[in-house]
Amino acid sequence: MTSVTDISHGKEFLARGNVYLPHIVVIDKIIDETYDTRTFHFNFKDEKLREEFTFDSGQFAEYSVLGIGEAPFCISSSPTRSDHLEFTVRRVGRVTNALHRLGVGAEIGFRGAYGNSFPLNLLQGKNLVFVAGGIGLAPLRSLIWNVIDNRDRYKKIDIIYGARSPADLCFKYDLDTWDEDKTVNMVTTVDKGDESWTGREGFVPQILEQVAPSATNAVAIVCGPPIMIRFTFPVLEKLGFTPEQMITTLEKRMKCGIGKCGRCNIGNLYVCRDGPVFTYAQIKGFVSSEY
Amino acid sequence: MTNSKKINKKDIGGLLKEWSQEFTVFIPWRESGVAMLDKWDGTDTGFIDWYRNTVKPAKANFFPPMEEMFRFQKGREGYHIELPLDEHKQLIFGIRPCDARSLAILDMTFTESYQDPYYLPKRNNAVLIGLGCLKPYDSCFCTSLGISPAESTDVDLMLTDIGDQFLVKEITQKGKELIARASQVEEATEADEARAKEVRKAAYGKVTRRIDTKAISEKLLSCFDNQDYWEKVAAKCISCGICTFLCPTCYCFDINDELVKRQGARFRSWDSCAFPIYTKMPMENPRVEKWRRVRQRVCHKFEFYPMNFGTIACTGCGRCIRLCPVNWDITQTLDKLPG
Repeated sequence: MTSVTDISHGKEFLARGNVYLPHIVVIDKIIDETYDTRTFHFNFKDEKLREEFTFDSGQFAEYSVLGIGEAPFCISSSPTRSDHLEFTVRRVGRVTNALHRLGVGAEIGFRGAYGNSFPLNLLQGKNLVFVAGGIGLAPLRSLIWNVIDNRDRYKKIDIIYGARSPADLCFKYDLDTWDEDKTVNMVTTVDKGDESWTGREGFVPQILEQVAPSATNAVAIVCGPPIMIRFTFPVLEKLGFTPEQMITTLEKRMKCGIGKCGRCNIGNLYVCRDGPVFTYAQIKGFVSSEY
Repeated sequence: MTNSKKINKKDIGGLLKEWSQEFTVFIPWRESGVAMLDKWDGTDTGFIDWYRNTVKPAKANFFPPMEEMFRFQKGREGYHIELPLDEHKQLIFGIRPCDARSLAILDMTFTESYQDPYYLPKRNNAVLIGLGCLKPYDSCFCTSLGISPAESTDVDLMLTDIGDQFLVKEITQKGKELIARASQVEEATEADEARAKEVRKAAYGKVTRRIDTKAISEKLLSCFDNQDYWEKVAAKCISCGICTFLCPTCYCFDINDELVKRQGARFRSWDSCAFPIYTKMPMENPRVEKWRRVRQRVCHKFEFYPMNFGTIACTGCGRCIRLCPVNWDITQTLDKLPG
């Protein structure tokens, strides 16, 4: 995985040739994931773009409530299921609150898809270990469905997913489907359960250590809150994963999404343009620890 | 017969008047003692006597402090989005070589991967008339960045003050065509050219502040993690951001919306790495400490920009030194980098 220089990946979906002009998309369905997190299903208003638009798992876009502002979120659906697109938002700030106030049929702005993506060619023929925490499952979910829809191209699949409490688990409908899938080893955990919780309890890195997936011919794909990522890498190293075998996707404040506005840099790299997907080997080589 | 032209200083008003037919002419202008580029009023050419450099750099003419990206209206059929029309042709008279170079540096950012839809049309529609800088400030260090205060190839025409006249050097085809149509221009003599050469040489010698770019590039990365040093140099910074706003090569921006009764617009505005909010995310902020932000500014200009574009993002114009309210001095920071 080298850093990406052609950030458009040769695919240009520019509204009227202007990279900052949003396409209008329509929300067709809203799913309450948790008390503060929602998934929006949407589609382009322009029929032609519905047909033509493509993206890769791991890419993100800039979504806007016109008049309120723009914010970056990953595309949480898989390109293998292209009848609509999805993104998942936790209510934390001005734009996310405005998004949560919208109903089905609302129109929002969309620019993208931006950034690099998970290296599918590198993952083919490998055992895959997905490690996710909280809303960090959103970008991984795009890849997980992508992989499941091409199941014969990959070997063993482990998914270790955790949240703070049962109420914080996102994509419960997917967790159930993956749990029933005999070709997937689905492990769900919560930091602390409640009276009705009968599943595992424990932090994601601890559970990963217990599950102990083999590092042989494997790649681990990690996404979650920074604290979880920081504790997960050492566990993976202990299990024998090399920094090249660990992949994550980083989060930064990204206003433009195309490496211009300046704020998401780590040294000379821009997370929006050169990332957001990096190997741990790349992260270790960063000029700065500001990630 | 020489390759240059010349024009009498007293004819500059007439020349600007001719150019005003085709362009919006900007000249150095002084208001309440603050020099900036402003639209020419059609008569006043007094700047020739007092002009040293503008406070706000010429980047503001191409990348304005605040700019409408598009406006929208919400109707029954959904959103109607309108793009601003920007066809005005600017002629900037008197741009200094440092500021002309800064535009060449900004071009790299605004053309890499994507063609910036707001900056580039303004750039392509503009004419730059450079004017040699004969009285550099103490804070100037352009010569260390490969810039000569009275010479430039980053403009369309380059003027040098040779007494009662300006010597005019044609740099681009656009400049050549422009001067060919001007009526007040005459051929320069060899003596005029020799005089201009002396003037340029004298101006070069007046820039005495220096930085050692080779030593800087060797030391910057190795002292990147030297927190003590960065804390020390950042101590007096008050994070006001003026060094970034007035820097001719700083381009960081923010994007914000405005909405009044179903009508709104999206704006691009200058932002600054000096502000903690610049990198703030809901749960975290990678550059909440001031020393990290000061380090970012210095390293972006002298390490990261060269890594990405092969050139230092500084022209030695000295504004960040002259205009800093607490006298923070980037040349001192660079000079004392620990090895």
